[in-house]
Amino acid sequence: MGKIIGIDLGTTNSCVAVMEGGEPRVIENSEGDRTTPSVIAYTEDGEILVGQNAKRQAVTNPTNTLFAVKRLIGRKFKDDVVQKDIKMVLYKISEAANGDAWIEVKGEKLAPPQVSAETLKKMKKTAEEYLGEEVTEAVITVPAYFNDSQRQATKDAGKIAGLDVKRIINEPTAAALAYGLDKKRGDAKVAVYDLGGGTFDVSIIEIAEVDGEHQFEVLSTNGDTFLGGEDFDLRIIDYLADEFKKDNSVDLHSDPLALQRLKEAAEKAKIELSNSSQTEINLPYITADQTGPKHLVLKLTRAKLESLVEDLVQRTISPIQTALDDASLTISDIDDVILVGGQTRMPLVQEKVKSFFGKDARRDVNPDEAVAIGAAIQAAVLAGDVTDVLLLDVTPLSLGIETLGSVMSVLIEKNTTIPTKKTQTFSTADDNQTAVTIHVLQGERKQAGQNKSLGQFNLEDIPPAPRGMPQIEVAFDLDANGILNVSAKDKATGKEQSIVIKASSGLSDEEIEQMIRDAEAHSEEDKKFEEMVGLRNQADSLVHGARKALEEAGDKASAEEKEAIENAAKELEEALKSGDKEGIEAKMQTLSQASAGLAQKMYEAEAAEAGPGPGAQDGGQNASGGSDDAVDAEFEEVKDEDKK
Amino acid sequence: MAQDQNNHDNPDTPADQAEAGTQDTGEATAEAEQAGAAEIAELKDQVLRSLAEMENVKRRASRDIENAHKFAVEKLLSDLFPVVDSLEKAVETAEQTEGAQPIAEGVALSLKLFVDTLAKSGVEQIDPLGEPFDPQVHEAMTMVPNPAAEPNSVMDVMQKGYLLNGRLVRAAKVIVAKAPDA
Repeated sequence: MGKIIGIDLGTTNSCVAVMEGGEPRVIENSEGDRTTPSVIAYTEDGEILVGQNAKRQAVTNPTNTLFAVKRLIGRKFKDDVVQKDIKMVLYKISEAANGDAWIEVKGEKLAPPQVSAETLKKMKKTAEEYLGEEVTEAVITVPAYFNDSQRQATKDAGKIAGLDVKRIINEPTAAALAYGLDKKRGDAKVAVYDLGGGTFDVSIIEIAEVDGEHQFEVLSTNGDTFLGGEDFDLRIIDYLADEFKKDNSVDLHSDPLALQRLKEAAEKAKIELSNSSQTEINLPYITADQTGPKHLVLKLTRAKLESLVEDLVQRTISPIQTALDDASLTISDIDDVILVGGQTRMPLVQEKVKSFFGKDARRDVNPDEAVAIGAAIQAAVLAGDVTDVLLLDVTPLSLGIETLGSVMSVLIEKNTTIPTKKTQTFSTADDNQTAVTIHVLQGERKQAGQNKSLGQFNLEDIPPAPRGMPQIEVAFDLDANGILNVSAKDKATGKEQSIVIKASSGLSDEEIEQMIRDAEAHSEEDKKFEEMVGLRNQADSLVHGARKALEEAGDKASAEEKEAIENAAKELEEALKSGDKEGIEAKMQTLSQASAGLAQKMYEAEAAEAGPGPGAQDGGQNASGGSDDAVDAEFEEVKDEDKK
Repeated sequence: MAQDQNNHDNPDTPADQAEAGTQDTGEATAEAEQAGAAEIAELKDQVLRSLAEMENVKRRASRDIENAHKFAVEKLLSDLFPVVDSLEKAVETAEQTEGAQPIAEGVALSLKLFVDTLAKSGVEQIDPLGEPFDPQVHEAMTMVPNPAAEPNSVMDVMQKGYLLNGRLVRAAKVIVAKAPDA
């Protein structure tokens, strides 16, 4: 069974999306666009063009370039909307034998489903190219006010395109799904405000929880079929042309290329003003007359734009009120308001909606794609995919062990999808350390003590060796049920110990959130702590290494060198007690220098002897090679007294 | 050896009693086995699906990355094209203006530099004057009767088009000739 895709078959633009790995994903078409114009053209040489191609040749082929077919699908010829449309479009709309509205193209009569099928075919192909497999099933959206005949006709269009339409869902419902409004408990009343390119639709829907399932019901719809983003652009274009005329006595409306540039600039400016309070429209060489070339440079403020379109936004308010009245609801009955359609990105629109409803609208889903995304979500539910996704969980907090310096070393990062397994190699902190304690921690703080202790165990009988030599492989295995298996194995002896930590021994949701908040609040502090510990460990190694070197050097070291090194080591140990970062660093420097001379001597001596190099000369900070996990092996605390 | 549990030869032996016992639980065991087998089959299916989906996601991810590399600059470039347009107009104007020769030359060279630099990034200009109209890469602004030109050919280029690594970023805005009405 292949994937079921979700298609938003719009009046001006269409969009296709599919669920991938539990995430809805809008698919780009072959031209790289995320939406495709709902335009279909039948050319002289028998080609059928769909999308941008069809749009680009509209001027050369007006009677056979079809757009806004959605206004005709499923309607009778005598329908008011159809009659109005006839006056607005350049292609021929005629009556079929059964009274339906059909379109005449190159002398042939076509049913609207046939025409829309071409758009659906392109969306199908787009999905197939992306998925790399055949697509035969889809969910298609329609306006909430579509009647049975229109819904059936849309389904037919799907069939003609080779798609088994698993379900026809309402656009506002799809938008609500995209916003995850079906995940909330209980019932909710949602207002969907859809202001797109050419039409405005407002719907009041009720989401009811029945036996654990969510059911959607459209309570009322209203709108304005001739109000959209393009009207906003028109206001800006007219303003720009008027201003230009004032200074240059030229009407740009009559120059097709100038008008086109104005249109693009107006749309661009409108979009920029959603994010800035001011923008500049700069169009050099916009036109020319006998005096030479003319340029258009104008500043446009957000305030000015708002004054130009204020009444348009105001026009959307009364349909909302009517819809509420029809649903017998008041503003306070509305639980959520969601915004759909590109024009809702405008701050003025958001403000007006907010002041009407008395609350902020949800707009976190891309308003151009919300409907397609909702269709994809519905498609995935029908395909049974969504349940699979629910099986995957994440671990909410990091898991790790305590290492030298009371630091928490993370093995599994928070928000890792489970089940998961991670191993890392650690080592001993002291020479001849024969046991290590594995203290399992959960949390985000760097200081071990600040995190939640989940349990601990010891691994014993480690053969005596210099510190940093033994390789202890620690494995964290977190299964799908949240049960954590922690094991520690001495690679040399093969001896292993482990502990099982049940999921319930962790933290509650609230505690988890608190921990994460704490970690963020203390991040500076934790960072300093981590640096300090790192420094301490380094200093420790240095002291240890220096003393060891002295031992091994024996009489090769002069009395002065011995004294210098011993003193430096003692001073460093003192500094460590104080916890003064700069002091420690300075003393480390001193000690390094003091031991440097001796080290040099030792190397020269060995080179002369041509013997193997000394083992732990590097202070044991690095892992002994071989193991892949031992990238940054660290040291462990030992607790000799308890033997479990 | 020790008595075999499945020894059928002695009906009175404890083994047989054990067997009688196993017969009652035999059905239960068979059921449990079936349920187990069914669960295994389902889990196997899920695992295979997950693996397959992972393969698909990997493949798509690498394709997304490839596309991102190829077309990352698309937005930036489409914002720069109007600059080229303006420079072209500037050159045109300067060439027609008395005494603007030095400026014309300078601007023309700047324009050339700009276009050459764009070309290095995979940008190709579409300048289809005289060619047949192709909606894949041209946008018809208007159609004008023209006896001198081939019908459906581009008789004027109002704005050049651009391709980025073969993908259309901006269609050329053209005026298309049509046969004059007889």
